[in-house]
Amino acid sequence: MTETKQSKFRQILDAAKGTLYGLAGHDMARFALKTRGSMEHLFILITMGDLLGVPILPPYYSLRLLPYVVPQISTWKRRMLRERDLTDALA
Amino acid sequence: MSLAGIFQEHPERRYIMFGGKGGLGKTTFSAAAAYWLAQHGHKVLVFSVDPQASLSDIFQRDIFGKGAVEIAHNLYAQEIDADQQIRQYQDEIRKRILDMYGLDKVPEEIDDYIQAAAAEPAMEESAIFDRVVDIVVGGEFDYYIYDLVPLGHALYYLSMASVYDEWIGKITGLRQEMEEYAQVATIMKRGKETEEDLILRELQDIKYRINTSSGILTDKEKTAFFFVIIPEEMVILDTQKAAGLFAKFQVPLSGYIVNRVIPPDLAQLDIPAYLRNRLEMQRGYLERIDTLFGNQVLARIPEFERDITGLKMIERMAEVMFGGAA
Repeated sequence: MTETKQSKFRQILDAAKGTLYGLAGHDMARFALKTRGSMEHLFILITMGDLLGVPILPPYYSLRLLPYVVPQISTWKRRMLRERDLTDALA
Repeated sequence: MSLAGIFQEHPERRYIMFGGKGGLGKTTFSAAAAYWLAQHGHKVLVFSVDPQASLSDIFQRDIFGKGAVEIAHNLYAQEIDADQQIRQYQDEIRKRILDMYGLDKVPEEIDDYIQAAAAEPAMEESAIFDRVVDIVVGGEFDYYIYDLVPLGHALYYLSMASVYDEWIGKITGLRQEMEEYAQVATIMKRGKETEEDLILRELQDIKYRINTSSGILTDKEKTAFFFVIIPEEMVILDTQKAAGLFAKFQVPLSGYIVNRVIPPDLAQLDIPAYLRNRLEMQRGYLERIDTLFGNQVLARIPEFERDITGLKMIERMAEVMFGGAA
């Protein structure tokens, strides 16, 4: 096979892989990430619950985890405290 | 079996604890045992896990928050300053947040949380509990003598450990599951390795620390736990209850030491009715103690004519405790 043929073949293969990922894998990956995201929030709830007034993990140790979740705190609070509505079903 | 016999027969028991109701002589016995072991050529650290510690008073030296202070040859004493420990810890957390996110100032909401958490009632106990791990894992000393908190607190301390442990086990499980989902997503996207989960590592370290601290309290091989009692009804009843609870938490009980026994020889002398009544009362309770605890009673320590403070008195106490004068 010549060089050009080889790269063409590669292009086709990549496109096929991409399509296959789009058809099957993407949804699964998205689902996995979404699940992980929900769990992340659950995790913050059970470790940093005090922030919402729900004391759960011994505070001495929850402080140790605090630095890692600083960026998530604001979105997490919003998520935990907001009321459920119809649009949640679409999310 | 005598108290000295326990130490001679079980040299592997390197963690020594005296427990009992408040004010019965736990600190005195801790100090005296430390003194005796140091005299026998062992390097000993006696330290207090009580936020209201009194080792400074008994050694007549201000050792509060100063680390392990050498009191005599081979004898070291330490009082943990819980407040100082908490402040340092808070600063560490703040610094880590600043470093991790390149901030100049900890966000207000986060800082409020850090401050509020420090005011939690369990904070002092947790801080001391956590500090004990560093002290004990250091392994610098032949013997570690815990000057324990009064019974109620000690039980809290133990139950806290088992609850912490279980809870952190659960959280760690959740975190691991999260990691798996992240890996699935990465594989689907045909990405590279996932980043190491720092939180998981932190949780595992917390679990390790809690297990180490509580593990020592319940280590049958390396730990000797002594109950301090006095011949009085309430104390006997409370100790019985506590012994049951301690057994539930698998604390290895090595025996009982009876403190504040009025010397029975006094009965031969011409003594006032008040003292005679107390002697009679104690005789009854001492019999009850012997029936209840039998050969687990290791020593009877007489009531001294003065309080035990300073090395001279500690030495006298050690002689009585270990010299077979019981």
